[in-house]
Amino acid sequence: MRVILAEDSTLLREGLVRLLAEEGHEVLAAVGDADALLREVEAHAPDVVVTDIRMPPDHTDEGLRAAVRIRELRPEIGVVVLSQYVERNYAAQLLTSSAERVGYLLKDRVAQVEEFLDALERVHAGGAAIDPEVVRQLLIRTTHVDPLTRLTPRERTVLEALAEGHTNAAIGEKLHISLSAVEKNLNAIFDKLGLHRTTGYSRRVLAVLRYLES
Amino acid sequence: MRVAGVLVGCLTALLGLLYFVVAGAALGAFLLWPRTRVRAHALLAAGARRLTALERGRRSLFFHDVFPEHRADDRQILRYLAARTYSGLLCAVVVGLVDFGAVLAGIFAVSLTTRSTMTWVDVVSQVVLGGTLLFLAVQGLRALTEQDARLARECFGPSERELLQRRIDELATSRAAVVHAVDVERRRVERDLHDGVQQRLVALAMLLGRARRGRTPERADALLEQAHKEAQEVLTELREVAWRVYPTALDGLGLREALGGVSERCAVPVRMEYDVPEPLPSAVETAAYFVVSEAVNNAAKHAAADEVSVCVRQRGSTLTVLVRDTGVGGADPAGSGLTGLGSRVAALDGTLRVDSPLGGPTTITAELPCA
Repeated sequence: MRVILAEDSTLLREGLVRLLAEEGHEVLAAVGDADALLREVEAHAPDVVVTDIRMPPDHTDEGLRAAVRIRELRPEIGVVVLSQYVERNYAAQLLTSSAERVGYLLKDRVAQVEEFLDALERVHAGGAAIDPEVVRQLLIRTTHVDPLTRLTPRERTVLEALAEGHTNAAIGEKLHISLSAVEKNLNAIFDKLGLHRTTGYSRRVLAVLRYLES
Repeated sequence: MRVAGVLVGCLTALLGLLYFVVAGAALGAFLLWPRTRVRAHALLAAGARRLTALERGRRSLFFHDVFPEHRADDRQILRYLAARTYSGLLCAVVVGLVDFGAVLAGIFAVSLTTRSTMTWVDVVSQVVLGGTLLFLAVQGLRALTEQDARLARECFGPSERELLQRRIDELATSRAAVVHAVDVERRRVERDLHDGVQQRLVALAMLLGRARRGRTPERADALLEQAHKEAQEVLTELREVAWRVYPTALDGLGLREALGGVSERCAVPVRMEYDVPEPLPSAVETAAYFVVSEAVNNAAKHAAADEVSVCVRQRGSTLTVLVRDTGVGGADPAGSGLTGLGSRVAALDGTLRVDSPLGGPTTITAELPCA
């Protein structure tokens, strides 16, 4: 895939460029701030953008704002943001429009090379990649919400895997259960959460996340 | 001068009495009637304020009192003028008694020299009585002049209470500033950790991840070697961050060694002059350390200085820290680093001065009480 990187730490930026090149991806540009990112995206039309959230000049949420902007202007471009720590409202801002071609990963996830590359592939394929840690924390924070407490432990693990953006088949593999068992669990979850059954799995992710944020 | 002041004080007290009698008679009725009370009271106070200004002038002129800028309220003014009038009149009475006594003593002396009918017993009793009365009068005068000074202090100067209030305000301000400075420093530490150490660790882990995915053993080896180097860099970075948070050398080896560490770390040559004969309180050591370290870092980073001189000197109970660099100047005392330093120094009742004209040189002076 064709990628543009935005990361202010030179060391990490170089590392990412190398890694992606080794994997056979094409890095169109690697920049150190959000303005340059928007310029490069305009110039190159990449498949996927990977951007850090905290970047110069203020080191607050420049990268996230740029990501939201790219999603508005060019929804066909996949966007993966890297966050220093779990920030609910960052995740919410990113996922409000749609949960397609979008990833919200903790920066440390980059260190788990396989998982990072896998998330990138998922976003490129039109899916979502939400960091397992983000999902875990969102679930922890919402245990006081009634409907969730009605889930069985197995249903909770399925919901987590679902929220991370995995397909039914991948969930089955991950949890070592059959595909039909996954579907059965999912139906139970949707019933308990009062969500309408939908088809596209990314919309399910969105529904789940939105629900978790409520 | 002082005697003249006391005598003039007697006259002004007479003026005060006159004023209270006249103004009291004129305004008395209005003061009692609720509808005009406020207005009458204000009028009375306005006149009293003029007389009080006269008293203030007298104190400054004859007694060289120095009063700060201070405006007393109406009640204070009236209370002062009443008390002052009373003590001034009393003073006038005592002065009168002293004069009367002097006249009597004169008559007594004259009658001693001319042949008189006084017996020894008469003479001794007169002397004892006169001496006692003189002693009492002098004591009274002393007490009254003391009181005059005290009344003036209370009305014209900041009273004990105001001084306390000022101190409390000062402390509240410096406490808030210290809390703020601590927060700023914590933010800096957080950024150091996240933007420095964490990035390096992530990069290191990525190198290892790439090495594991390495297609060929040679490639994997090369990546591992890089990772190894990177791990050492991370350690160095971590040490630096920890040192910036708190230099442990301060506790173990003292200020001098810690400052030596600052000059070793600095890219610019630092000339250090250290003259501290007695051991310092640890809070003062820490503050002095941070003043030097911040100033030296600023000089190296922002001022493009080619030399920094540091002088730490203790004279009596004051520690003076002076950092001068030959850089471009234009340091902003309101910048977060210098503000934090100022707060740190102010918390110890010290002062921090930043003198940094455009074009340099920059001088930062901190004076810390170390009693």
